[in-house]
Amino acid sequence: MFGLLESGFGLFYWGNALMIVIGLVFIYLAISKDMEPLLLIPIGFGMMLVNLPLGGIMDYEMVLRAPQAGTVMEMQMEEGASFSKGGVICKLDSGEIVTPVFGRVDTLKISKGQHINKGDVVGKLITMEQTDQSVLPTRPIGLLSRIFKYGVMWQMLPPLMFLCLGALTDFGPMLANPKTLLLGAAAQFGVYLAFFMALLAGFTFPEAASIGIIGGAEGPTTIYVTSLLAPHIIGATAVACYSYMALVPIILPPVVYLLTTKKERQIYMKPSLRKVSKLEKIIFPLVTTIIVILIVPSSAPLIGCFMVGNLFRESGVTERLNKTSQTTLVDIITIFLTLAIGASMPAQNFLRSSTLLILVLGVVAFASAAGAGVLLAKFMNLFLKEKINPMIGAAGVSAVPMSARVVQVLGQKENRQNFLLMHAMGPNVAGAIGAAIAGGVFLGILH
Amino acid sequence: MIDWILAIKIAGGGFGMVFLILVILQVVVEVVRVTTEKITGAKN
Repeated sequence: MFGLLESGFGLFYWGNALMIVIGLVFIYLAISKDMEPLLLIPIGFGMMLVNLPLGGIMDYEMVLRAPQAGTVMEMQMEEGASFSKGGVICKLDSGEIVTPVFGRVDTLKISKGQHINKGDVVGKLITMEQTDQSVLPTRPIGLLSRIFKYGVMWQMLPPLMFLCLGALTDFGPMLANPKTLLLGAAAQFGVYLAFFMALLAGFTFPEAASIGIIGGAEGPTTIYVTSLLAPHIIGATAVACYSYMALVPIILPPVVYLLTTKKERQIYMKPSLRKVSKLEKIIFPLVTTIIVILIVPSSAPLIGCFMVGNLFRESGVTERLNKTSQTTLVDIITIFLTLAIGASMPAQNFLRSSTLLILVLGVVAFASAAGAGVLLAKFMNLFLKEKINPMIGAAGVSAVPMSARVVQVLGQKENRQNFLLMHAMGPNVAGAIGAAIAGGVFLGILH
Repeated sequence: MIDWILAIKIAGGGFGMVFLILVILQVVVEVVRVTTEKITGAKN
């Protein structure tokens, strides 16, 4: 019972070790560099947990059935054996039975010499792979696999997270200067550029859409879209999205400097925005919900939750709901969502060349989104009497409020009198709406 | 083999759709501002 091979060491390999190191790096960055600690600590810890073999925390049970009839000539695996995708379980006189996922054998129901019919149960497998449930149904049997299946794959947690974000979002700066909605729209260019590049790189349409949406820089949107379109790459897209949100201070400045002149970066914007009335703030989520969902119905879960959360905030009569959404609920959902996402990255699933490609395409998506916002701001300046500082266009990449803060810092470097934070919050929150709509459009076409 | 027609439809149509909706919202925000100013009499 306490033999070495019965402990996790027997199944531990270099991939698990590498993933644990990556998880530790996330935790280090969160603690010592204060980089998105609320996200990186649970994600990093989830990565560690799932890469400690036999912990069972992210296990799914799969009943394997014979794809064809035949007589078992030779057994290639025994109970407890670990295997990679495509491993041969047994040889039949009519062919082979191979494993459709990676994992380990729990029980086998066949033996040498036995005749089996098509559809007979071959055995029970344990896997950590996210499978297409219509083709390879699985049953979650671990703590985090249950949370992942019923929270993420059933699309519960990402929209609820959006509700909390709605309660945390002040649309005031955007309503005070509605031109900034266009900058948020322009930034969605990054989504579609990355989508195209992913197709060129050989990804399928659903995978390319899930990669493109990283450019929306909204974690819940990325997770929501990927869970519906390409659940097998959800770990990579979520990590790319959250990591690059943490790296916005590094990604945004080079894009801004590349696309603007010093003179443009010094454009002064009056610090005070017009006062937005309470009535306007109440009407906005209501009207937005109706317009957006009528045009793009598949964006309803995200836009609906985002706007009802915002209505809790602005109505003035639901303070308890508003407070809960901004504090307790967002914390609970963050714990479940990020731990489950971290746990969706077992080494066998994550350490693939496609993951590296997804991470590269994620940077392209972020950078081109920021660039498109900057370029549209410059274009708008050709027609505006009162010029806008094109740097605020970079905040259209969403990643609320980090990108707006970065623009504020860049603005201060160029002109100490320039306070761009509130101006940048306009495209920033517009980008969040734009990303949710872009996700809805992908789902409407591809799901 | 990539279906480029579908890819262009998704990308072009999708980006256009996002832009169109946010332009509509921009117009709606302006209309709401003007209307609420008229109703309340306050200049926002």
